[in-house]
Amino acid sequence: MIEKPKIGVYICHCGINISSTVDVETVEEYALKLPNVEVARTYSYMCSDPGQALIKEDIKEHDLNRIIVASCSPRMHEPTFRKAIQEAGLNPYFLEMANIREQCSWVHQDMEEATAKAKKLITASVAKVRLLEALESTEVDAEPAALVIGAGIAGIQAALDIADAGFKTYLVEKTPSVGGRMAQLDKTFPPLDCSACILTPKMVDCASHPNIELLSYSEVEEINGYIGNFDVKVRKKARYVDFDKCTGCGDCATECRVADRFPSEFDEGMGKRSAIYLPFPQAVPAKYTIDPEHCLYLKRGKCGKGPKCQEVCGAGAINFEQEDEFVEFKVGAIIVAPGFDPFDPSRKPEYGYDDYPNVITGMEMERLVSASGPTGGKVLINNGEEEIEPKEVAFIKCVGSRDESVGNEYCSRVCCMYTAKQAHLIREKLPDAKIRIYYMDVRAFGKGYEEFYDRVRRENVRYIRGNPSEIFKRGNKLVVKVEDTLNSRPLEDEVDMVVLGVGLEPRAEMRQVMDLLRLSQSGDRFFLEAHPKLRPVDTATDGVYLAGCCQGPKDIPDTVAQAKGAASSAMIPLARGKVTIDAQVAEVNEATCRGCGFCVEICPYSAIEMVTVNRFGHEIEVARVNEALCKGCGSCSAACLSDSIQPKSFRDRQILPQIAALGVMK
Amino acid sequence: MSANYEPNIVAFLCNWCSYAGADLAGTSRVQYPSNVQIIRVMCTGRVNPLYVVNALQQGADGVLVSGCHPGDCHYMEGNYFARRRLGMLKDLLEFVGVDSRRFHMSWVSASEGHKWKEVVEKTVEDAREAGPFEGFRRRQIDW
Amino acid sequence: MDLDKLRETAAEVAAREDVKYLIGWKKGSYGYRVAPGFVEEAEGAAGLIFSPLCTANLATYLTLVEKLPLPRGQEPDKRKVALMVKGCDSRAVAQLLVEKGIHRDEVVVIGCPCPGMVDPDLLGEKYPETEEPAEVKWSDDGFIIVRDGEETAVPRDELLAEKCRLCRYPNPVISDIMLGDPVDTWDPAEDEGVSEVEDKDVDGRWAYWQEQFSNCIRCYSCRNVCPLCYCQDCILDRLNPTWVNRSVNFSENTAFNIARAFHLAGRCIECGECERVCPANIPLGKLNRKLAREVRDKYGFEPGLDPEAEPFQASFKPDDPEDFIL
Repeated sequence: MIEKPKIGVYICHCGINISSTVDVETVEEYALKLPNVEVARTYSYMCSDPGQALIKEDIKEHDLNRIIVASCSPRMHEPTFRKAIQEAGLNPYFLEMANIREQCSWVHQDMEEATAKAKKLITASVAKVRLLEALESTEVDAEPAALVIGAGIAGIQAALDIADAGFKTYLVEKTPSVGGRMAQLDKTFPPLDCSACILTPKMVDCASHPNIELLSYSEVEEINGYIGNFDVKVRKKARYVDFDKCTGCGDCATECRVADRFPSEFDEGMGKRSAIYLPFPQAVPAKYTIDPEHCLYLKRGKCGKGPKCQEVCGAGAINFEQEDEFVEFKVGAIIVAPGFDPFDPSRKPEYGYDDYPNVITGMEMERLVSASGPTGGKVLINNGEEEIEPKEVAFIKCVGSRDESVGNEYCSRVCCMYTAKQAHLIREKLPDAKIRIYYMDVRAFGKGYEEFYDRVRRENVRYIRGNPSEIFKRGNKLVVKVEDTLNSRPLEDEVDMVVLGVGLEPRAEMRQVMDLLRLSQSGDRFFLEAHPKLRPVDTATDGVYLAGCCQGPKDIPDTVAQAKGAASSAMIPLARGKVTIDAQVAEVNEATCRGCGFCVEICPYSAIEMVTVNRFGHEIEVARVNEALCKGCGSCSAACLSDSIQPKSFRDRQILPQIAALGVMK
Repeated sequence: MSANYEPNIVAFLCNWCSYAGADLAGTSRVQYPSNVQIIRVMCTGRVNPLYVVNALQQGADGVLVSGCHPGDCHYMEGNYFARRRLGMLKDLLEFVGVDSRRFHMSWVSASEGHKWKEVVEKTVEDAREAGPFEGFRRRQIDW
Repeated sequence: MDLDKLRETAAEVAAREDVKYLIGWKKGSYGYRVAPGFVEEAEGAAGLIFSPLCTANLATYLTLVEKLPLPRGQEPDKRKVALMVKGCDSRAVAQLLVEKGIHRDEVVVIGCPCPGMVDPDLLGEKYPETEEPAEVKWSDDGFIIVRDGEETAVPRDELLAEKCRLCRYPNPVISDIMLGDPVDTWDPAEDEGVSEVEDKDVDGRWAYWQEQFSNCIRCYSCRNVCPLCYCQDCILDRLNPTWVNRSVNFSENTAFNIARAFHLAGRCIECGECERVCPANIPLGKLNRKLAREVRDKYGFEPGLDPEAEPFQASFKPDDPEDFIL
């Protein structure tokens, strides 16, 4: 097809966003003189319906075959205009956008300069658009199943929604039980629902749901493929307990030779568990697990005269020969919900968390006030000498949040409220205790939050503005050294117990998930969403969605909302049953390929393979692209010494004229 | 070199980080010199090092390649390849006597609108100091 | 090097059923000339030599002759090619294996440990060539020039080629058959040629290369002789897109020479053939060696040593240098 290019150039005023700095009329006149340009127009809002109609009419009337829209960033409206020209019967890839707003009118003030630059950018677009080729996107089937990584409240909710919609869902949880951080909480902030009471039914649901395959104590090992067709490999770690036989009676844990010796993860180390254990009473699945790090038999091959657990298990469920198992399956979409880690206050040694047993974190406080916690819900604390009921309690907020010195500039969004909630819970349990909260700001932004904060203040909880500099011991008291910044008064507050309102951090294991799924991090180290405002649950990898605190600190309602959003996004390809493969993929010219395989080495998606072809009687190897796997990055192309592999729409023969056009237009 | 000499700079930006960062600079109304013309590519890994040579030959006084920070590449590794290739090119260009101020590479993320401004200012300033690069111009530039 | 042994081995190899032909060096038609010898039958091996004049890197023929179009219906001769290599040449073979330009089972490598070649230009200058055949032999501490039946001993340093003074791999790094014992390696000399250019200021370097590149007649001998420039369709010959215009002028010549050198970054094995064949005497080796030095020093990589290595331009290390990044 050698068709003479007939170009239409559409210059947008964008209200006055562009036209106040770029003299659009001059640019229009200039564009008309460029080679192959048939039509040039300006319009107040090109993206509006009448704006698009203008382009469509011109395509028909003037028989245009290439369109340039000089307006905002292609990252903004490229899809809009592609669709518009397609509706007018043009191939959607016959479009080039000149970014004269974000990269011109908004960043330059001088009208002359901005106008000159707009001309240049349009010239470069003309140079390229003439050489664009028609591309067809293809469709492939999507596997109607989803993978959810992490079974905290975010993962549970997402899995339930997808499963309820009728799609098979694989829910993979690293620890022996689902529930995550929310299961550890005592009450939730307003209203004061018991966390376990609202969570447990959902936990049970996800184990019994016919569409959910729960893979607890499992880790995702490998993910390959692309939206609609991900191949997943999961390692089911050996529990050393036969999953089907275990009845969850717990005799094994009671009789274990090292019963109640090891810090319980669930109780934040404040309670103890055995080497064979159920993380917490309501754990789902209610199946015991042997911790290989602590089990005498697994560690040393010997446990008394024989493992006690094996002896007492009536069901004969203990199996020390068990090995890790691998399961492989295919899914069409993936939701990532690995959650968060609480900030480790050891990184702020001035608060003495490592030195004083009565300096605890908010997470530990949750376990301390919980009826199922290590003290049965009694607020008892060891002050270094004896176990006491504290009479004076201080809370410190923003520990590890809004703090550049530990690398966390962000607000953790939950500490203000959980501190208020915990103050309220202490007030309930210890009506006479003196409670003081040290804060920088109080951010009570959610529904019912401000009201709750007010209520707590009225419960004789004192809020003092100041960021404590140090905690040290004096007698059997802890001294919080702080400046009350509202009164400009230095204070030394003697208390029995300090609760550190630690913030939320990205999970240490996030890197693993990142590498599996090629995700990126934002500046705060949480996962980067596709767009901070408009695509907060999507990632840059199609078919992979974010839910919960992995994307940024969130409270429970926000987490649930995002999980539902992620589920709904993930269900789009599943419900459609098809996914569209981008047409801008790489292509090999087999006639010139020298078969060196550099591109195969480079391709991060393993989208290129060597195939044997016949060239002039010789069997030779050349590269070939699997279009479904190729993402069109073009890294292969820059390394190809014979220029034989080229990404469509970004070919050398399309880019070099762009360079030349910019050079000529000095 | 005339006093009002304005260098012409061609920049290759990856779609996901630096191009988005340059967009953010716009959204944030950060002001910077107008000498830099951006060519969008999907990844810095796409930037054939010979583009840089070609740009200098075809009228650019300076060239900039900007992409995602290491570890942040949308395609995982493209910027690492770009770093190696363009690092070699920079050595070669310096060796044949192309002023090192004419070619820069930078990492600018989607959230670094201000860094983009700084990079542009530095690139323009360096190219201005290096002066017009007429010695290497192609006799006749067509497109 | 025992020539009888060489010829005997070559004859055996050439006679092998699975060998198409053997490529070695033979005496040229006059003076110091040495020509490539293609030996198809055992008898042909009698003319083969290995002397300080065997500068040519024969590895280039592996890709040059191999993939010519075959007439319709004709089966390709899939037998092996046997190739005689010096240390540097063997690195070209190893690099070709990395780049799948050849496969290991397609080639029989006959290694010739190399005490160093003479610089043909220096030789011709100091001991002018005659029409009568002349030859150069190795002695214990240098070379012996044989002209008109007269032998002249010359110290090694007087005539040793530059690439050999800088050589770090005189013994073949890859071979199926090794002729004779490995030679003692020597300390590679400082690369003064590269350093001299580096020491100039930026304008000085530009002026230096401007002078050199202005002489380029764009004959592409450098490309054609290079064992690693083996694209069927070189980008520098293409019109769409046009990377380099065909007109011969400083701008295009410079672009051409930069492109050529860059395409060899991390691939050049420093055999020096490009510079040897350049009719304009452009010191192309300096460009290649400069890049090879950077690749070695900054990236810890040397091409053409390990046939299993990842290609330099198609790999990276997370800690590759990035001090040049703003």
